[in-house]
Amino acid sequence: MWKWIQRQASPKVFYQTCNRLVPWFFWPFITLLIVGLYWSLVISPADYQQGDGYRIIFIHVPSAILSMMVYAVMAIAGGIGLIWQIKMAEVVAKVSAPIGAGFTVIALATGAIWGKPMWGAWWVWDARLTSELVLLFLYLAYMSLNSAFDNPRTAAKSSSILAIVGLINLPIIHYSVKWWNTLHQGYSVGTGGIKDPNMQIALALMFVASILLYALLVSIKARTEVFIREQNSRWVEEEVRSLMS
Amino acid sequence: MTMVEFFSFLPYGKYAFYVWLAYGVSALTIITLFVTARRNHLNTLSSLSNKYSRIK
Repeated sequence: MWKWIQRQASPKVFYQTCNRLVPWFFWPFITLLIVGLYWSLVISPADYQQGDGYRIIFIHVPSAILSMMVYAVMAIAGGIGLIWQIKMAEVVAKVSAPIGAGFTVIALATGAIWGKPMWGAWWVWDARLTSELVLLFLYLAYMSLNSAFDNPRTAAKSSSILAIVGLINLPIIHYSVKWWNTLHQGYSVGTGGIKDPNMQIALALMFVASILLYALLVSIKARTEVFIREQNSRWVEEEVRSLMS
Repeated sequence: MTMVEFFSFLPYGKYAFYVWLAYGVSALTIITLFVTARRNHLNTLSSLSNKYSRIK
């Protein structure tokens, strides 16, 4: 296993691994998404308090968790790139940013849409919402800093430092509902907040589907990034020629 | 007639507008991620292919 991971530092091996992994992420993702949506929208019963309005939870919670998980992966991969000079870790960090930003947008948008019928407001400047908005700005700052340099190595170095400094925001988001008196509710998962087994299954299915979606998008986007970085090597030229013919 | 009333014929009645809007926005975001990834890949392939044919 360790040997296999070490071999992924080679761009060619990493590219081939991504190529091979795409169908392995795609089909389980589609399957879990369909089953998860069915469980969320049909099997799960209505909530005793929020009626059917609560069903937004099945996308809101997984995407909010992923928005933080992807950020952690991005910062750790950036750190590995900084410390051990592994270019493929830089690739993972770079392609993770737009995906994480996408999850953050979904979490914020579904939260706003959920907030309107339940709180009577699309947006409040509550600690949880504000810190999640800061996360979106961190992703955007990372992406613009990364694209501001011509040299991908220099870009990776500066933006990785930004990502690592921004890690401080993750515990702030997580504990915001505990540290401050927020309008946003406290933890629903693992605290007895969600008790119905069908709701728990639906949430778990959507969560695993979201992880697979992230892995799928990383392996799709990493291939493009490897081509750009390794465009002067022979194998990329051969691969591009064979793909274009 | 408000949007909420207009969409109340869908499943989930008075919450239909909000629930389906949330699922729709999420689907749109995910589809955008896939479309941009695909477009970037094709653009990269064609620009690299041009570059290689210029060299030789």
